[in-house]
Amino acid sequence: MTPSPPPAAPLRAPVLYRPETMPPVDRAEVLRYLGYGAAVPDPATGTLVDRCIPELAGTARPRALYAAFPLEKAAPGEPLRLGGCRLTLPGKDIAAHLEGCSAAVLLCATLSAETDALIRRAQLRDMAAGLVMDCCATTWIEQLCDLTERQARPLFPGAQFTTRFSPGYGDLPLSMQADFLAALDAPRKIGLCATGSSILTPRKSVTALFGVTGAAPAESRTGCAHCRMNGRCAFQRKGETCGLSHASQ
Amino acid sequence: MDFPTLLNKPYILLDGAMGTMLQKAGLPLGALPELLNLTNPEQILAVHRAYIEAGADVIYANTFGANRHKLAGSGRTPAEVTAAGVAIARRAAEGTDCLVALDIGPIGQLLEPTGSLSFEEAAAAFREQVEAGAQAGADLIVLETLTDLGEARAAVLAAKESCRLPVLCTMTFERNGRTFTGCGVPSMAMTLEGLGVDAVGINCSLGPEELPPLVDELREWTSLPLIAKPNAGLPDPETGEYGLSPAQFASSAAALAARGVKILGGCCGTTPAAITALRTALAALPAPSPRLGRRDAAVCSATRAVPIDRARIIGERINPTGKKLFKAALLREDVDYILTQALQQTEAGADILDVNVGLPEIDEPAMMARCVKALQGVTDAPLQLDSSDPRALEAGLRLYHGRAIVNSVNGDDESLEAVLPLVKKYGAAVVGLTLDKNGIPPRAEERFAIARRILERALAFGIPRENVFIDCLTLTASAEQAAVRETLKALRMVKEELGLKTVLGVSNISFGLPNRELVNQTFLTLALAHGLDLPIINPNVAAMTGAVRAYHLLYNLDPNAQEFLAAYAGTTTAGTAPAGPAPAAVTTPAPPAPQGPDDLARAVEGGLKADAARLTASLLETKDPMEVVNTLLIPALDRTGAAFEKGALFLPQLIQAANAAQAAFEVIRKKLSSGGRPPVSKGTIVLATVKGDIHDIGKNIVKVLLENYGYTVIDLGRDVEHQAVVEAAIRHKAEIVGLSALMTTTLKSMEKTIALLHENHVPAKIMVGGAVLTPDYAKKIGADYYSRDAKESVDIARRVIGK
Repeated sequence: MTPSPPPAAPLRAPVLYRPETMPPVDRAEVLRYLGYGAAVPDPATGTLVDRCIPELAGTARPRALYAAFPLEKAAPGEPLRLGGCRLTLPGKDIAAHLEGCSAAVLLCATLSAETDALIRRAQLRDMAAGLVMDCCATTWIEQLCDLTERQARPLFPGAQFTTRFSPGYGDLPLSMQADFLAALDAPRKIGLCATGSSILTPRKSVTALFGVTGAAPAESRTGCAHCRMNGRCAFQRKGETCGLSHASQ
Repeated sequence: MDFPTLLNKPYILLDGAMGTMLQKAGLPLGALPELLNLTNPEQILAVHRAYIEAGADVIYANTFGANRHKLAGSGRTPAEVTAAGVAIARRAAEGTDCLVALDIGPIGQLLEPTGSLSFEEAAAAFREQVEAGAQAGADLIVLETLTDLGEARAAVLAAKESCRLPVLCTMTFERNGRTFTGCGVPSMAMTLEGLGVDAVGINCSLGPEELPPLVDELREWTSLPLIAKPNAGLPDPETGEYGLSPAQFASSAAALAARGVKILGGCCGTTPAAITALRTALAALPAPSPRLGRRDAAVCSATRAVPIDRARIIGERINPTGKKLFKAALLREDVDYILTQALQQTEAGADILDVNVGLPEIDEPAMMARCVKALQGVTDAPLQLDSSDPRALEAGLRLYHGRAIVNSVNGDDESLEAVLPLVKKYGAAVVGLTLDKNGIPPRAEERFAIARRILERALAFGIPRENVFIDCLTLTASAEQAAVRETLKALRMVKEELGLKTVLGVSNISFGLPNRELVNQTFLTLALAHGLDLPIINPNVAAMTGAVRAYHLLYNLDPNAQEFLAAYAGTTTAGTAPAGPAPAAVTTPAPPAPQGPDDLARAVEGGLKADAARLTASLLETKDPMEVVNTLLIPALDRTGAAFEKGALFLPQLIQAANAAQAAFEVIRKKLSSGGRPPVSKGTIVLATVKGDIHDIGKNIVKVLLENYGYTVIDLGRDVEHQAVVEAAIRHKAEIVGLSALMTTTLKSMEKTIALLHENHVPAKIMVGGAVLTPDYAKKIGADYYSRDAKESVDIARRVIGK
């Protein structure tokens, strides 16, 4: 692929995104996370899913942040750098993913601490409900990321975008979570933090970035081959994917 | 100039944003502005001077994020960065009356239970900042932009415990009046005032135009001076820039002064120009009229305030007294059991939960701390900490992020001296029992005299009057029939003559009598009519909760009978009205249905809890309990397990089958314990999610399955210290230790735990599981078994322990 001229990439202060209406939790996706694949769920599980979805929607407070940063050319052997912030993106995989990109959009999203408590309560009442609630939240946070990405794309009219890539994929280290969040001022703006072991809290939260390029549709660089779970993933064993990469396969 | 003197001014002007000024000057996103104290002090000095020139009475030193967690990796310590920051501000304020505040913001990691930072770790981090700032000559301490009431409490306690400087605290709210963690304005006001801060308020997050409803609410809940340090409007969704001009900001902020705010300044997006404009606007206002804050009784959790403006039910079920299952749960440290009791009670109508975990065999302070922490993660009902051990009370109070009730103190000097200082320090409410070392006086007048004595001592300790509740003590009617009316009489005297709220444990009244429910309900109704505010009852008993609801209806405390109708509309017979959503319908009367053994198996496999319990009960009339377990329940679970492995059935169904089996086991356990036979356990398994990891759903599913196969599971929870796993394995003589870790970052922690188990020669087999584990890796780190899923953990348990 030929390197493209950088699109106009104005650096913006992180933008807070609180969707006024969220799309309903994707039921089919919840069932997929529960392991049903395309199978029709038993009535009891179907009912559980239908009960959990509105409860989650009534409790979660979805919030997200995004900001665009110009990508600075890395010297050989040096990690990629983002202009205007202190963050570097170490690893071969992210460098390959963002090849030919002039900018990257960082985003983070959370379903709030109330969602954690809701899942905990559901587990105490009935472990099956707890599991279903957990999968509903996992589904919805991905939907929130999709929405946030859609919200951010108009920053670059006419540009093309890579798929999303998160710390922990490939050799992009999880240990960068705290710095990633700091670059977006996420602890202060949406209450999203990382623990000392780089786990995002509240639990149902995501950090991700995607590249911006002027070239023809960016070649996908996500997928199982790039995943740290490759070869030991429960979805793979069943011939499925986790959903993070299925769109690109 | 000092802060108390400054308070004599009609209004106090704070400075504006520091971060905004630094970012305008080119500070990169995500960089630590506090490091500039060391690398470019002149830049910070210039910002301070600009705000002093603008008229600020107080400037915030550039120390907001100078804590050990944010500075980790910077090569600088909190002490040096903080000292440098305060010194720069001092230099700027030299020769002026401007005060210098040590500014402390959130640590940047969430506290338990949402995060993994412990309360004491947070307090220790804040203490470092406070000590450095106080030593460097700060005039006061400002804690700001906090969103977690627990973190705010850790900061206030750290400040109060390590210096005598005035403490101001402001939290950050969203438009709905809640912080990111769900803390409400009343909870903040009540809790922080209780801890003894000097002023309380709101900063960041919103602009001055959004604050009036929040300020109005805050004013109602505290008599402290109020602070507002809003942003320069809301950020533009396109650019992230703040919207208000200095003039707009000043006029909206000054409008907050008219609503009772005394201390004003600006947060994100504000500049010296905004502060100058605000000074002018404030100068034009008339002097504020003195403010009388609310002094009504109320308690709260971090997320819910409960004013005691009508009867509030205190649920009594978290208490081992006379409860075999509860005692057993405490002995195996089963916090989930206690949490389930909490949820059942709040669903049935409890407003407040009594928490008593005292048992001679356990470490009560440690258990109290664990339960208080866990309860706050699942329920918003305020807690009443119930113990005769002041150490247990303090352990709970320290970790309780709200205004708790301490149960209890009595009229005896020793009790008053031990308990009241704790109540004062942690800002709690307290129940005073009308007894002393001579016992319970028979006459109402004598009990009233003790109540008065308790009140006087509480006031002398600085505990506000509205935080003292009195329990006039219920005696058993069957033993002391004449005493019942004395209790009621004393209650009325306390209520009317002392004006205090009253508490009463109701259920004691009927010991030794037939038809206890009738006696309890009648006594409760009488007590309510005599002025009882806080009945301690079992809310799961419909008649008791119903009596309180009916009382509210009849005393016009339930406008338009809304709550009464919500609870009972559609029910016809008073006696069968539900207390709330029925927890597990174990006692549902049996409809005519088949009763055969095959049906039980089908009920389990189909996940039908109520049916499984009912069918078990009927089978037990003719069959031996162990026969039911071994020939019906276990084979049914096995069949679901096999179907799960084949992919014919999915995880939710496997768990639902386990739940149905659980309901059947409950029935069997009751039958066995009523027959005096010891409970059956096949062996003990300790489970934990390792230190550093806070994922636990997988481990919890494993627990459900193992329990249903008859194993005793000691669940240590998540983020469990390596040593705690070793100790539990030894203490409970575990045959298996199951460890879970879900992150590549926490596998190391699993490895350490295993190494420590080996070092201590713990004989238990070690089973590990988690998404990122592989059988090879499990072997490499020294585990005996790798468990792919919950079903396989049962297979392993059977292999190790036997059926």
